[in-house]
Amino acid sequence: MTILATEALTKRYPRVTALDGLTVSVGAGVTGLVGANGAGKSTLIKILLGLVPASEGSARVLGLDPATQGQEIRRSVGYMPEHDCLPPDQSATEFVVHMARMSGLPRTTARERAADTLRHVGLQEERYRPIGGYSTGMKQRVKLAQALVHDPKVIFLDEPTNGLDPQGRDEMLRLVHRIGTEFGISVLVCSHLLGELERICDHVIVIDAGRLLRSSAIGELTQASQVISVEVEEGLEKLAARLTETGETVAVEGRALTVQVRADETYDLLRDAVVDLDLNLVRLEQRHARIEDVFR
Amino acid sequence: MSQPTGVIHDIGYRHYDGPRLGRGGAAVALWVYSLRGTFGLGRTFKSKIMPFLLFGAMMLPAVVSIAIMALLKQAPLSYTDYAVFMQAVIAIFLAAQAPVLVAPDLRHRVIPLYLSRPVTIIDYIGAKLAAMIAALLILMVVPLTLQFVGEMLIDLPMPLHTHEYLAGLAGSLINAVLLASIGLTLASFTPRRGLGVASVIAFYMFTLAASTVLFGVFTSEGHTEAAGWGFMLNPFFLVNAVQVNLFGTPSTSGEPVPGGAGPALVVVAVVLLALAALYARYRKALAA
Repeated sequence: MTILATEALTKRYPRVTALDGLTVSVGAGVTGLVGANGAGKSTLIKILLGLVPASEGSARVLGLDPATQGQEIRRSVGYMPEHDCLPPDQSATEFVVHMARMSGLPRTTARERAADTLRHVGLQEERYRPIGGYSTGMKQRVKLAQALVHDPKVIFLDEPTNGLDPQGRDEMLRLVHRIGTEFGISVLVCSHLLGELERICDHVIVIDAGRLLRSSAIGELTQASQVISVEVEEGLEKLAARLTETGETVAVEGRALTVQVRADETYDLLRDAVVDLDLNLVRLEQRHARIEDVFR
Repeated sequence: MSQPTGVIHDIGYRHYDGPRLGRGGAAVALWVYSLRGTFGLGRTFKSKIMPFLLFGAMMLPAVVSIAIMALLKQAPLSYTDYAVFMQAVIAIFLAAQAPVLVAPDLRHRVIPLYLSRPVTIIDYIGAKLAAMIAALLILMVVPLTLQFVGEMLIDLPMPLHTHEYLAGLAGSLINAVLLASIGLTLASFTPRRGLGVASVIAFYMFTLAASTVLFGVFTSEGHTEAAGWGFMLNPFFLVNAVQVNLFGTPSTSGEPVPGGAGPALVVVAVVLLALAALYARYRKALAA
């Protein structure tokens, strides 16, 4: 099922071209939209919401044309912006109820759904206190709740992990994944960190300077860019030399050694090399593919 | 075995298939929400103080007037002069509460959340404007009506001032539309509430001072007609002139006012200009 699709979508501003002939298609589930800052992610979302017109090309969201049916699209879509958008003097409950009403929910329904949604995003008693006193993590949850409260069919999340600490990041990503699977709401999540998205997405779209770089299922993408990072107590050079001999591509990065995964046997070779050289292994981890790796 | 009672089940995420009121419902909800906001209802106690204090001040003359009618059997305070007499209170209410309607959404960048919903910019501005108009109407019409009810109940040795009361109501409506348009537009140009308050007050003080000075200068030069127009710089006198021309009620200042459709056209022009500026301001906010 296609949730949204664009066809040669182009958006030119007087001084920059934000989108340049972008053709993508997004299915149900969680889809990641990856690109550096200024790659055109936010512009794409604004066009999909029907808030700004495209210069050329066309788009469809839930089978509707944003240029003419923006109204209907916005009824069944949720949007979590990247920037701060919460009034500090209101409580999360008041704010989310109000936003539910702005989506057209009747008063009592708005109250019920606001309470439900805030519980789902993990806000407890603090939801009655003014938002001004919340941590960044709690604010991000309120932003997510206002995008979910009217039970949309699709939800656009712009950098939902922005400003969060590692634990907050994990929680937010788990939540996004739950929305896409358990809640059955399709998610388009923007990020400039591919490593983050590979953990929760079924599909990833990479754009750069408004152009499509690649669009593929998550499996293909991470396989192509897998790197492992090895750290040993001493003898990093010996290990690097041994691995190079056996035909692996390695690079020393500070105190760690990064090894490109050619195939499954790379893991065996690495393990054997460490054992043979009798090295003390400190760390061995799969390094998250970074956006730069995809650009290579 | 009996079923356990009082157990909370996690029923998971529930979808919503019920009615959605859409654009119209959302706009009405925003209007009610904003109108409540102008009187601080549903907000903190602190935000109720100013509007209710000013509302009380607006009621005072009506109460005193009723007392005078009851005790001295004298004519009530002129319905058509009420707004002009109380202009400082109305102006302060506008200055204090117009920024409450527009500034927080601009400052905290809440507008994108509205616009990603069925609400459009026109709906948003319309609801805010309608809320400000309604708030000013409440402020002006309630004391007039209270005084009129008082006049009906007290047996005065003169006919009821029904015509003046109705003229006063019409004048209040024109006043509310004009003031709300100017006030909201001025307030929307800054995301800071304090600056918004200051700019609306400064605007009022300027028109007040300028109209008096122009009137004085033109009168001393002997240009009676120009002097009348000079007075029109003050929005309250402008609306008073429209009221005089529409209903034949006496002018509050005692001076002749520019006749014909002139003052009414000025009101319409100022409202349109203000609304155009307001719309342009929010178009800009959307593009950002």
